[in-house]
Amino acid sequence: MARFLIRRLAGLVLVLAGVSVITFALTQVVPIDPALAALGQNAREDQIQAFRHAYGLDRPPVQQYISYIGRLLHGNFGLSIRTRRPVADDLRDYMPATIELSLAAMGVSLLLGISLGIVAAVQHNGWVDGLARIFALVGGSLPIFFLGLLVLALFYTKLRWLPGPGRLDPYLTPPPRVTGMYTIDSLLARNGPTLRSSLLHLVLPALTLGYFSTAVLLRMTRSAMLEVLQQDYVRTARAKGLRGSVVLLRHALKNSMIPVLTTIGVTFGSLLSGAVLTETIFAWPGLGRYATASAVSLDFPAVMGVTLVSAVVYPVVNLLVDIGYHVLDPRIGVG
Amino acid sequence: MSRSNLLVRMLAMLAVVAVVLAACGGPTAPTSTGATTAPVASAAAGVTTAPAAVTEAPTTMTTATAVVAATAGTTTAEAATSGAAVSPQQTLLFSGDLSDQISLDPAVAYEFGGIQVVGQTYETLVSPDPGNPTLKPLLAKKWDTKDSGDMWTVTFNLDEKAKFASGRSVTADDVVYSWSRALDLNKSPAFLFSDISKLKKENIKAVDPQTVEVRLPKTASPTVFLSICSFTLAAVVDKQVVQANAGSDMGSTWLNDHSAGSGPYVLDRWERSTQVTLNANPTYWGTAPALKRVIMRNVTEVSNLQSAIETGDADIVQDLGAEQVKALANNPDAQVVKADSTLLVYIGMNAKSPPLDKPEVREAIRYAINYDEIVNNLLGGNGKLVQEIIPNGLFGHTGENPFKQDVAKAKDMLTKAGVAAGTQIELLIPAGPAPGGIDWSILAAKVQSDLQQIGLKINIKQIQQSELLNTYRAQKGQMVMINWGPDFPDPDGNVTPFTSYAAKSIAWRNAWDAPDIAKLGQDAALEQDNTKRAALYKQLTERVLHEGPYVILYQPTRAFGVRKNVQGFTYDPADTPSISFWRISKQ
Amino acid sequence: MAITNTPVALTAADEPAPVVRRRRIGQSFRQPAVVAGIIVLVVFALAALFAPLLSPSDPLVQQVINGLQPPSASHLMGTDKLGRDIFSRMLYGTRISLLVGVGVVAIAAGLGTLLGLVAGYAGGLADELVMRITDIFFAFPALILAMAIAAALGPNLRNALIAIAAVTWPVYARLIRGQVLSLKEREFVLAARSIGVPRWRIILRHLLPNALAPLLVQSTFDLGAAITAVAGLSFIGFGAQPPTPEWGVMISEGRNYLATQWWLATFPALGILLVVAGFNLLGDGLRDALDPRLRK
Repeated sequence: MARFLIRRLAGLVLVLAGVSVITFALTQVVPIDPALAALGQNAREDQIQAFRHAYGLDRPPVQQYISYIGRLLHGNFGLSIRTRRPVADDLRDYMPATIELSLAAMGVSLLLGISLGIVAAVQHNGWVDGLARIFALVGGSLPIFFLGLLVLALFYTKLRWLPGPGRLDPYLTPPPRVTGMYTIDSLLARNGPTLRSSLLHLVLPALTLGYFSTAVLLRMTRSAMLEVLQQDYVRTARAKGLRGSVVLLRHALKNSMIPVLTTIGVTFGSLLSGAVLTETIFAWPGLGRYATASAVSLDFPAVMGVTLVSAVVYPVVNLLVDIGYHVLDPRIGVG
Repeated sequence: MSRSNLLVRMLAMLAVVAVVLAACGGPTAPTSTGATTAPVASAAAGVTTAPAAVTEAPTTMTTATAVVAATAGTTTAEAATSGAAVSPQQTLLFSGDLSDQISLDPAVAYEFGGIQVVGQTYETLVSPDPGNPTLKPLLAKKWDTKDSGDMWTVTFNLDEKAKFASGRSVTADDVVYSWSRALDLNKSPAFLFSDISKLKKENIKAVDPQTVEVRLPKTASPTVFLSICSFTLAAVVDKQVVQANAGSDMGSTWLNDHSAGSGPYVLDRWERSTQVTLNANPTYWGTAPALKRVIMRNVTEVSNLQSAIETGDADIVQDLGAEQVKALANNPDAQVVKADSTLLVYIGMNAKSPPLDKPEVREAIRYAINYDEIVNNLLGGNGKLVQEIIPNGLFGHTGENPFKQDVAKAKDMLTKAGVAAGTQIELLIPAGPAPGGIDWSILAAKVQSDLQQIGLKINIKQIQQSELLNTYRAQKGQMVMINWGPDFPDPDGNVTPFTSYAAKSIAWRNAWDAPDIAKLGQDAALEQDNTKRAALYKQLTERVLHEGPYVILYQPTRAFGVRKNVQGFTYDPADTPSISFWRISKQ
Repeated sequence: MAITNTPVALTAADEPAPVVRRRRIGQSFRQPAVVAGIIVLVVFALAALFAPLLSPSDPLVQQVINGLQPPSASHLMGTDKLGRDIFSRMLYGTRISLLVGVGVVAIAAGLGTLLGLVAGYAGGLADELVMRITDIFFAFPALILAMAIAAALGPNLRNALIAIAAVTWPVYARLIRGQVLSLKEREFVLAARSIGVPRWRIILRHLLPNALAPLLVQSTFDLGAAITAVAGLSFIGFGAQPPTPEWGVMISEGRNYLATQWWLATFPALGILLVVAGFNLLGDGLRDALDPRLRK
């Protein structure tokens, strides 16, 4: 296990090095001058030169890259051109919102996707199955940005059942920061109103973001369950007179969890992509919205920061998934 | 770990998710009783009644809030306790696109969103008197300008009653410190001091605790300097407080989360890209503001602004589009308040790039555009027809609009200039919405279709604003559609950039060099007699109308949605800040 | 984001499929869902092909006076702010989206196949290198990388297409490599090699045709994914530029009218939904037909 972890971590370092090279290469082809982007219409030539010098933009690319990596190793992501703060500070401020939203969306898709998938498999070819398949088809085909606009227009603007954009009621003070996730921090602070408000604000964006992965999970669960249900040991168990639900839970569900686990790992990566669009629509102050705003102003130190951080997530989740395989079925060797 | 254990854990996880979902779904039930009770409003009501609710609360959830907050570091504790004390009735909720907020330091802030905050927490020596070329006293009781031979001398007498939120008096020393600090930091707005006013640190002096003396070279205009003194750049910071928190950047970073001014409000907290919370300054030296707290929310989608004002999620929303204005027309709870801006939306035409190098071609383009459809149909009243370079609301505005769409005339002029049908011209436009609440792309498509009628083929290229400015500044734009707002409420804030090639601003970007018109602008800026000054500006704007490389499309109007229980709301573009929150009250 | 359903499809088609069996395709394509998908795609393809004939007006022509008209007999899908006919814009938008989908998949599948063949056949250092590069690309959240690429290259439709292709190709590289690795130990390949058939000929005649089935399945899913992804980029301003009647741009232009003038954004959204669903259904059908292990 230890060797496996070391190997995987070494791979992760390699991947991150590659990621930093690609993002850095992108900064070199940006058609504009970040100095002008930051200083605006009225900047004087000497100010522009000073900015270029301060950000090292007047040095050759290889030197710029080496000093960038050097600073990265000290946890220094550079200064954001747009917000004029250290990118590390921005990332620390915005990351918890994205994690909270992604976890909520993952929760939604686990709950809806797996349960609907089971029901659809058990009721194979019944009307529930039909509905579930349509639900999954739409989820896999509807553009997430339209879904976001739609649920906002419907549940906030028209029906007024749920709050609109943002993470918290404006009158409320966010709970003292521990994790940065408002729901968890509210629980820790035992603050009822902020817990309630932050949960309510999570509903629409989490449903929007989670719909796609719900659809994927539903399909995977359904087909994995169908396959398992047809296998001999399940038939045997049934023949031995075990109750339907026991068979379902003890045998079928567990054995269909392996492909589902793979799907979870894969869709978690897609959540981060989806977060870009979802956060933009719901004014959710997370990494996705930060990345979009930064890319719009061609603030590449910030874009590089987000990309590096999010590039850690996917390999780490995959590592966890691999460990999960091992736990689910020790016959599967790690690595 | 055994397998069944894992299964149990996974099911438990599902159960947790289910509970969370149930908690989310639960509150939808009570609100379904009537659309009038918005969920946010009810949540807010929960806060107002918090002190009462604590005693009745079945659990210890709410009571614990204050306890935890009190132990969680000073700022948060203050925020949390004051949060409980201020009710929505005493709070103003303001929503708008504030995504340009970068800094809340007066020496750094140069964006609408930042200035709007700084203007509430700091004060300047003088204050603009909207609609009037003269200034009103603020921190300075009186001031005068003297010609002292080789230089102008401007002397300010400070009001001895003025004091900072810290309780200290505002002294001449603080003024000298604040202005020198702005020059040293040399951030975006600093050029107003250093370039426009030609102000140098050694020429700012504290004569005594109540008197500041500033000397300016004869090439600078003391009138323009005084109007810059009403801008947030010239706001006075509390020297002791800022120096105590100076860090490595003269306190700039610290001032993003704290205020050190003498204004009616103090900064409570700034949640980046989400909201800014201001609390009333308890020791304010002037009339105490009516509302104890102001919350400024960053909401970027106009449709969400409309929902917010309809539901009462906001007391005031900024910059509604034409459709939202229409939708709010018969709303019993909210009204639309329109206000002029001093912005101009215009097209710059590069005077060196064929076929735009011919003045007749530029004139033909001005005659080809259907201004009425832009102002009436596209903007739906969110803009005014203005065709000269000095906007309505600034001194020197003449109100002349000689251009009206005349396709035949325009075609004729084009033929006479020898321009072939189908000649291509590239039009650069920024991304996003233009002032007035319409997308730049829609405006550009309209211009494209109008110019097609006279045989010009316009290729629209939409790029990010910073990239557009980069091209524009390098004189590389052929046609560029963009907006301009004066940096200070004086016609010179528009005339010099639009006419002086040497100033390397708009005229330069369009490669338009007309030395005699530029000279006229300089003379007008230095003219101390208002009647003579007005005459000079009239002469100048008329020439630019026909000779200049500009099509001025419109002067945007800002549409605000205001709840009917809100009183005292005014917007004045020439004022800093444009909205004075301290004058607003709620019934 | 639909773009990332590619790795999902990948896991399903990770191993080489047996050679196509005609009868199975016939069976699979008689399933109502697959038939529905094909019909939808054919309708949209015809609409795209005959857009100039079908559209009542030029997609760019404006009648500002007739702005924001609801759907009616004269404007089947209503008009937008500038009085442009949305039905005509939809027809031309179909053209753009289908071309964009094909463009992305052609670039991604072409590049990926090439690198996959090299990696799988040459093995050793080349294999290691290509695989590590795909690792790096998989680590990025697709849309964030695509956004960065599009921003760096400059926002327009061509660059958005390049950006999406740049984040899609690694799937094909891995897919083809997997195919080649298992095929190259098969008897027919070993036999060909033993009688001295040149390497390029083995690749072209033996390896590629047998790897085609999973490639086809993957491409079908990716057509839909690419259309959504490019529309997503256009929606946030990194893709097609107005006044282009691209669906993502049209949704973005209609975003503030959803509660009042629903037709502005809803029709282009429906267009994306139907086309992408069509490709997904067709992809399911193909996968079932070509890979019997996954038939349910």
